[in-house]
Amino acid sequence: MLALLGATTLMLVAGRWVLPAASGEANLKPENVEIHIIDDNFFLKWNSSSESVKNVTFSADYQILGTDNWKKLSGCQHITSTKCNFSSVELENVFEKIELRIRAEEGNNTSTWYEVEPFVPFLEAQIGPPDVHLEAEDKAIILSISPPGTKDSIMWAMDRSSFRYSVVIWKNSSSLEERTETVYPEDKIYKLSPEITYCLKVKAELRLQSRVGCYSPVYCINTTERHKVPSPENIQINADNQIYVLKWDYPYENATFQAQWLRAFFKKIPGNHSDKWKQIPNCENVTSTHCVFPREVSSRGIYYVRVRASNGNGTSFWSEEKEFNTEMKTIIFPPVISVKSVTDDSLHVSVGASEESENMSVNQLYPLIYEVIFWENTSNAERKVLEKRTNFIFPDLKPLTVYCVKARALIENDRRNKGSSFSDTVCEKTKPGNTSKTWLIVGTCTALFSIPVVIYVVSVFLRCVKYVFFPSSKPPSSVDEYFSDQPLRNLLLSTSEEQTERCFIIENASIITEIEETDEIDEVHKKYSSQTSQDSGNYSNEDENSGSKISEEFPQQDSV
Amino acid sequence: MTHRCLLQMVLLLCFSTTALSRSYSLLRFQQRRSLALCQKLLRQLPSTPQHCLEARMDFQMPEEMKQAQQFQKEDAILVIYEMLQQIFNILTRDFSSTGWSETIIEDLLEELYEQMNHLEPIQKEIMQKQNSTMGDTTVLHLRKYYFNLVQYLKSKEYNRCAWTVVRVQILRNFSFLTRLTGYLRE
Repeated sequence: MLALLGATTLMLVAGRWVLPAASGEANLKPENVEIHIIDDNFFLKWNSSSESVKNVTFSADYQILGTDNWKKLSGCQHITSTKCNFSSVELENVFEKIELRIRAEEGNNTSTWYEVEPFVPFLEAQIGPPDVHLEAEDKAIILSISPPGTKDSIMWAMDRSSFRYSVVIWKNSSSLEERTETVYPEDKIYKLSPEITYCLKVKAELRLQSRVGCYSPVYCINTTERHKVPSPENIQINADNQIYVLKWDYPYENATFQAQWLRAFFKKIPGNHSDKWKQIPNCENVTSTHCVFPREVSSRGIYYVRVRASNGNGTSFWSEEKEFNTEMKTIIFPPVISVKSVTDDSLHVSVGASEESENMSVNQLYPLIYEVIFWENTSNAERKVLEKRTNFIFPDLKPLTVYCVKARALIENDRRNKGSSFSDTVCEKTKPGNTSKTWLIVGTCTALFSIPVVIYVVSVFLRCVKYVFFPSSKPPSSVDEYFSDQPLRNLLLSTSEEQTERCFIIENASIITEIEETDEIDEVHKKYSSQTSQDSGNYSNEDENSGSKISEEFPQQDSV
Repeated sequence: MTHRCLLQMVLLLCFSTTALSRSYSLLRFQQRRSLALCQKLLRQLPSTPQHCLEARMDFQMPEEMKQAQQFQKEDAILVIYEMLQQIFNILTRDFSSTGWSETIIEDLLEELYEQMNHLEPIQKEIMQKQNSTMGDTTVLHLRKYYFNLVQYLKSKEYNRCAWTVVRVQILRNFSFLTRLTGYLRE
């Protein structure tokens, strides 16, 4: 029983020793392999999975994806540590997808390969720090920057001329005032103060791929003391028919000037190009602050221009370089615009070519786009619109307002060209608006309605006037009824006809009195009546008291 | 009042974006003109000695370059820019052994530089909009091709023969570029 137990224990213990040996391969395999690429240097790092680090070495191979040709990486064969590095030179090609594999070895045992995910080295590489060389002037620092990687770099061989560099510069005394500038490989940083220590660091950028590199170490340099001869400033170049006029500012006296130019593309190429600056003809040893040279001298292109002054005390540093594009000076004539008010809230603008430009072939060469500026005449707020069409409308304007428009022609997509000068300003008033129209309609209606009213009022007034000043001699119509007999009527109205009298014979005077009395009572009631009294108008002076109420006159009545 | 202002702003924006959305007509025109000039300049360079061209060199020109019409407008721009940049890169190297005129090479470089300047804003716009397209893989293939050319020049120490071979390659590139530019239609 005991023996059985002992034998089992022995076997178990022995088994424990044996088992690790059998699984040794799996244990050795490296883990967590990481690759870092900076410029042309590949850094491989991994973890070893076995506890005992002694006698374990690692080897790495690579192959181009798709081929079946594993090659050894000479920097990474039988490495005892857990990292190694190799150069892209070994790979020969960084623009293709490659596979890496790594395994561990211990004596004759090798682990299985750990295969790294395939990758394109160029896309994974980090841009390293560039190499910077500085030279100081009094108000500027000259930079000479070499691209990242070595001269024989494979990684950046095809991007040598594409790098741009971002420089951060500050005064050593106060790191707060930092300035960042983007420069070419051979460039200058201007607007510095003399006799100050400046420090800077530079990083390379591949702008169009949006890739940024690491910063270089910090370099510091002292600017020199102020130079005895100051440099010219504010260089300007204008084209005028067949000549260029180069002008600069120099407020000091007694100096001669020298101007040079450089083709702009040289700035992109790393390396020294100081020998590529060429003297501008007619601009050597000039005493005035301008010089004139013919257009034929330069072939078409983009240039940098610089000027320096010399007097008895010496020669100044070069001025700031001014970029100048010969294409910029292509003459474009200002357009001709006409403005019409179409509706109350919009203006129709028509842009045409001036007569001179009709003949030029410029318009066929360069498709034009128009920059149109328009504003309300009373305010200064300008609106700028870019229009390709030659007929367009400005909508949503205020009615009955004066708007002014001016335009200039630009070459489409070519912002470097200044374009034409502005056309003449044309102002136009918008038509009256809907609200005014409403008022107009209301006014018209009111006028229409008020006419009858006015006529009525006027006629009433006239009648009053007539009543007061020009009484009508026409008898009231009721009188007419009574005097319907022709003769009496004729007596009243006209005396032209022959009249015959008719006589009434009064037989009894008392009857008349009775009649008068009854009439009297009626009269009292009918005193204010507008109707004609039935009384035939007998005047009675006998009884004043009783007959006092009898009206002595025929009441007038107006007939309407 | 603010509503009206808003409408005006929207309309103004529409005008502006209409102006900004690239019409490639000027670009096509300028590029064709530029490429024609480049080819003319390159042809002015002597192509002797002839025996240099007898050896067949395979620089692994990308397959895509055989068919210009398959490129979309944006990819075409990326490809054109890359090619111009790489040709510029090659021509900045040491050609003193050839005896070629510096003026001609400088004029060539100037043309390439200006054309790249024209393309840069458009290229930037395209790169921002798209992440990875067919254009990217073609660009990588192109880099490999130009890298092979440069390595060949280096290996031959920039001698005359090597430059003659490279010159022929560049002429073929310009032909392809001209064809590709022709396909940059709206």
